[in-house]
Amino acid sequence: MGVDFQHIVEGFMVAIKPINLFLIIIGGFLGTVVGMLPGLGPATAVAVLIPITFGMDPTSALILMATIYYGAMYGGSRSSILINTPGDGSAIAATFDGYPMAQKGQAGQALTISAIASLIGGLFAIIGFIVLAKPLAAFALEFGPAEYFLLFLFTLSAIVSLSIGNMVKGFISMSIGLVLSTVGVDLQSGVHRFTFDIPQLSEGVDFLVVIIGIYAVGEVFYNYISIDKLKKEKKKVGSKWITKEQWNQTKWPMLRNGPIGFLIGVLPGAGGSIASMLSYSTEKQLSKHPEKFGKGAIEGLAAPESSNNAASVGAFIPLLTMGVPGSGTTAVILGAVVMLGLRPGPLLFENNPEMVWTLVDSMFIGNIFLVILNILLVGLLVRILDTPPKVLYPLILVLAFIGTYTLSYSMIDFYILVIFGLIGLGMKLLDFPVAPLILAVIVGGDMEQNFRKSIVAQDNFLNVIVASPVTIALTILTILSICYPFFIGWLRKRKQKNT
Amino acid sequence: MRKLIGIMILFTTLLIAGCSSGSDEASGSDSGGSDFPTKNIEIIAPASPGGGWDATARSMQKVFSDEGIIEKSMNVVNKPGGGGEVGWQYLKSKDAHTISINSSLVITNNLLGQSELTYNDFTPLAILTTEWNSVTVAPDSKFNTGAEIMEQLKKDPTSLKIAVAPSLGNDDHLSFVQAAQEFGVDVTKLNFMIYESGGDVLTAMLGGHVDVATSSVSEFKEQVLAGKLKMVAVTSEKPIEGLEDVPTWKEQGVDMVFPHWRGIMGPPDMTEDEITYWDEKISKLVETDAWKKILKNNEWEDYYMDSTESAKFLEKQMENYNELLNVSGLID
Repeated sequence: MGVDFQHIVEGFMVAIKPINLFLIIIGGFLGTVVGMLPGLGPATAVAVLIPITFGMDPTSALILMATIYYGAMYGGSRSSILINTPGDGSAIAATFDGYPMAQKGQAGQALTISAIASLIGGLFAIIGFIVLAKPLAAFALEFGPAEYFLLFLFTLSAIVSLSIGNMVKGFISMSIGLVLSTVGVDLQSGVHRFTFDIPQLSEGVDFLVVIIGIYAVGEVFYNYISIDKLKKEKKKVGSKWITKEQWNQTKWPMLRNGPIGFLIGVLPGAGGSIASMLSYSTEKQLSKHPEKFGKGAIEGLAAPESSNNAASVGAFIPLLTMGVPGSGTTAVILGAVVMLGLRPGPLLFENNPEMVWTLVDSMFIGNIFLVILNILLVGLLVRILDTPPKVLYPLILVLAFIGTYTLSYSMIDFYILVIFGLIGLGMKLLDFPVAPLILAVIVGGDMEQNFRKSIVAQDNFLNVIVASPVTIALTILTILSICYPFFIGWLRKRKQKNT
Repeated sequence: MRKLIGIMILFTTLLIAGCSSGSDEASGSDSGGSDFPTKNIEIIAPASPGGGWDATARSMQKVFSDEGIIEKSMNVVNKPGGGGEVGWQYLKSKDAHTISINSSLVITNNLLGQSELTYNDFTPLAILTTEWNSVTVAPDSKFNTGAEIMEQLKKDPTSLKIAVAPSLGNDDHLSFVQAAQEFGVDVTKLNFMIYESGGDVLTAMLGGHVDVATSSVSEFKEQVLAGKLKMVAVTSEKPIEGLEDVPTWKEQGVDMVFPHWRGIMGPPDMTEDEITYWDEKISKLVETDAWKKILKNNEWEDYYMDSTESAKFLEKQMENYNELLNVSGLID
C-alpha cells in the first residue's frame, strides 16, 4: 500500500482535538519525569495508568500511553548527563559522553543537544512509519532465533571493542554480566539456576536493579568515600544554546542514527538499549577523532539519543501491524488496549486506519512538544549540579530504593541493589568499564535462549551462521568489530615507528 | 463530563504514581465474625502489571467498587515471581481481607516440585473465568485439523517444532500433551520450543520459525481472522464464537475439554462467615453487565463456581494434572 494521505490528514484532525492535545501534554510530562527517575520507567508508568484508561476512548488511551513511552526516551538521558545515572537501559549510552560534557561545564548544551537529537530521531522514525510500516513488519518477522542470537552477539562485541586499550577489562566485565544473566529459571529445561531457593530470584535479576545499583548507588558510595576530599568548586553549567560548530558536528550523526534505531526498534526482540549502543559504536568507528569519545564528544551523545527515540517509534510497527509487542512497554500497552475492547492485529490497519494514523500524527505533535518541554526544563535541571553533594546523594539513594521497589515490590531487590552498589564501587575504583556488564545482563538471557533454539532449529552451529543473508552479514560485522581495535592498535604502532 | 472526571482522576493518580507506587497495608486489627470486613480489602495479582492475572484483579476491583458491591476500599497488589509463588506466600500470612487470583499453577507448581504450597493450603473462594487452548499452524500448512498433526507426530514425535510459552507444565503445554496422548503419540519425545511470552510465540509463528503453536485462543484469534494463521483445534466444549469453523477436539474424536481457568482463593483457615461473605459478593460480581463486558473485551468466558464447587473442581484438576505431568515425563 502506498502512503495513505487521506487518513493521515483525518488522523491529524483527530489528534489535535483538545482532549488529545491535553493527553499528549500530560503523557509527555509524565514520561519525561518517569524517564528521569532511575527505575521508574515507561512500563511501570503505563501499568499504573491502566485503571485510568478504563472508560477512555481507545484512541486517546493509546495516545496517552505512547506519549509516555517516547517521553521517557527524552527524560532518560537527563539523569545520565547530570548525575551519571541512566534512567533506563536505553539511556546508558548517554552517560558515555553526556556526563563528561557536564563535567566540562557544558551540561546545558548536553541537555539541549540530546533533546534535539531525540526529536530528529523521532521525526525520522515517524516518516519511516508512514512510508514503510508494512514491508518492515514483514522483514522483522524474518528474524528467527539464529538472527537474534547473532544480533546480540554483535552488540556485545561492539560494546567490548569500545573499550580500546582496555579490552581485557571490558571482556571481564561482559563475562560477569553474562554469568548474572543465567540466574533464574531456564525456560527450555525448567531448571532453577543460582536461585538459592529464593522465589524472587526465579525470574532472574532485573537489569534495572543492576543499572540502579551500579550507577546510582555505586556513585553514591564512591562520593561517600571521597566526600571530604572534594574541593568546593562551583561547577559551570554553561549556555544551554548549542553553537553553530556543535550543530555541524552533530547533524550527520543524528540523521544517520535515526534509521539505525528505527530498524532495530521494529524488531520485536530488540529495543532502545541495543539501538543506542550500536549507534554509539557506529559513530565512534566513523569518527575522525575516536579518541575524543568518552571524554565529552558531542556526537557521542547525539547519536544514541537520536537512535533510542527512533527505536521507540519503530516498536509500534509490529504492535500495530501484527499485534506483536516489540518491547516490554508495548507489551503492557497491548494488554491495556485489549481491556478497552480493541485488538491490535493484522486487521487493525484495514478496519481502523484513522486510529492508527491518529496515533502516528500524535507522535509528531508529541515529539515537538517534548523538545520544547525538555529545552525549557534545562534551566531548572542544571540546578541539580548546584545541589551540595551532602544533599544530592542521599536524595539519589532514596530515589534508587523507591525505583527498585516499584520493579517487583519485593524487599529482596534491596539487598541485590546494595550488592550491585558495592560492585559498582569496586569497578569504579579498579577502573573497569561498566557498560559491557550491564548490556550483557540485558541481552544475555535472550541471547542464550535464542542460541539454544537456533541450535535445535538448525542442528549445528555452522548452519546457524549461514542460516540466512542476515546471519552472514551479522557474523561478518561481529568479526570486524572484534578485529577493529587490534587493527587500530597496529596502525598506531606503525605510526609511532614512522615518526 | 465523563472525560472531565476522567481527567481529574488522572491527575490525582499521576500525583500518586509520581511519588511512589507505595504499599499501604493496614495490619494489626483482628477480623471479627459478622462485622467482616473491618478494614481495606487487598486483591493480590501474583504477577507484574499487564498480564491476565493483573487484568483479572484490576477488573474485579473496578466492578466491585463501581457497582457498589463492596463499600470498603480495595487495593490491587502486584507480587510477581516464581509463577505465583511470591504472591501466594504473601497471601498465606494474611487474613480474610486479602484474596488472590490463582490458576492451574497453584496445582502444577507443587506437582512439579517447584513449590511447597498447593491449593489445599488456601481457601478456595471461586472459579471466575476461563479461556480455551488452541493448536495453530501457518495458513499454507499441509495440516487442516489437529488430528492430522497428531497422526504425523504418532509416526515421528520429533518431526515438528512446537512453540509454547512460558514454561513446560502449563496449560498450553499440557492441553497439547493430553490430546497427543489420546492419539497414542509418544509425548516424552515431542520437540517443544519454549518462548518467553505468548507474544513471542506469535512472532515465531508468523515468521515461520516453528511448525505448530499451542496457546490460548485469544492470543491468536486476530491473526486467524485475518488469514495469517490457521487454527486447527480448540479445547472447548463447543466451537468458539467468531471461530465457528475451527473444530473442537471433541469433534475430532477425542474426548477432552481443557479449560484454562482463573479463580480466587483466600488465606488458610477462613471462618464460615467470611467464606459466605465472599460467595455472596463474587456471585453478585459475575452477574453484573460491567463484568460481562470485561469478559467479552478480553475474550474470557464465564466459568463461575462458588466456594464449594471450586473445592471439588480443584480436587479433580489435581488428579488430571498429576496424570498429565506423569505421562509427559516432567515428573516420575
